[in-house]
Amino acid sequence: MTRGHRAVHRALWPALALIVALGVTMALVWRPPPEQPEAPTTEAQPK
Amino acid sequence: MSAGFQAVQWNRKKLVYDAILLAGAALFIGTFMAVGVWRNPPADPPAWIDLRINALGTCAFVMLTIILMIGPLTRLDSRFLPLLYNRRHFGVLTFFIALAHAWSVVDWFSAVGALGDLVTELTNNRKYMQFIGFPMKALGLFGLLVMFLLAATSHDFWLAFLTPRIWKTLHMALYVAYGVLVLHVALGVMQEDQRAFIPILLGCSFAAVTLLHLAAAWRERENAATSGGWIAVGPPASIPDKCARIVTAPGGERIAVFRDGGQIGALTNLCAHQNGPLGEGRIIDGCVTCPWHGYQYRLEDGCAPPPFTERLVTYAVRLREGIVEVDPNPLPPGTKAAIRVAAG
Repeated sequence: MTRGHRAVHRALWPALALIVALGVTMALVWRPPPEQPEAPTTEAQPK
Repeated sequence: MSAGFQAVQWNRKKLVYDAILLAGAALFIGTFMAVGVWRNPPADPPAWIDLRINALGTCAFVMLTIILMIGPLTRLDSRFLPLLYNRRHFGVLTFFIALAHAWSVVDWFSAVGALGDLVTELTNNRKYMQFIGFPMKALGLFGLLVMFLLAATSHDFWLAFLTPRIWKTLHMALYVAYGVLVLHVALGVMQEDQRAFIPILLGCSFAAVTLLHLAAAWRERENAATSGGWIAVGPPASIPDKCARIVTAPGGERIAVFRDGGQIGALTNLCAHQNGPLGEGRIIDGCVTCPWHGYQYRLEDGCAPPPFTERLVTYAVRLREGIVEVDPNPLPPGTKAAIRVAAG
């Protein structure tokens, strides 16, 4: 890995890691509550 | 270049590596499906396909996480180096497992007669404006396309054709693919399956990759303790005979400090052929030999032995108070810079 690659790597990593960490946290916080048993059943999508 | 140059060939070590990889992936998928059947037996063919989708997807994600952990692990502990040598095969197998995962999704929609729904999901523009509900299959497709690009260009031919600089830059796209695939899981299966297993797997994998990279960077910075601009390597005896210790200059450049009996010299860690990790090679027949393709260089001046013409950047070394030190400022390629010390 050359100096140029390393500079890109160092700049890219923290930004990418922050975006992904934020995205996962938001996805976890905002995920819908579990379906209630009496709710009408619909065919599930593959996970 | 060396007289003994030969292209990379299949050898026993590579075959063993690949056999272990295949067996590990098969064991993971088999165990995942067996546990799935035991916990919740699939009632119909689509349920079986659903289980297969989950098994293949989890396997591909875990393999991708391991691939990204190999680099920092080898920088932290040289015992992980064997994993690095064949990492490209690891990546290609991961792509094929991810491809089987994607094909299984198409198979599921086909089995329930809803292929049109899959197309609608991918082309519904309004969904792309949402966060929860974002078409996570599009994220998976993007990750798969990046992995295809990397797998297709993983052969040495493409490394030579694109040049090492462009090839390496291209292959750093794997980090982007990993980030996108983490979100593919977070916005997909994690929204539908409320078990704690998924966020734990996702969080631990992502944290492991991130923390290992931070630890490796911290270790490199710590090792680059300088003395008046010179980097301390250690006593001559701390450099294994006919091998190197790799140190990192403040700018991030790696320097391979070799010892050949009583002679110590420092060369760039990048082979002139394909940027191979020279410091992980050995001194064979009096020449530093790249572990990738056997290119050879003289330790004293970084020049390939005649009739070859490649020359490497060298670095000044000195012995101060029994400690070998290297000047991180590179010398012009081919400059004599090795020193003689009492053989350790």
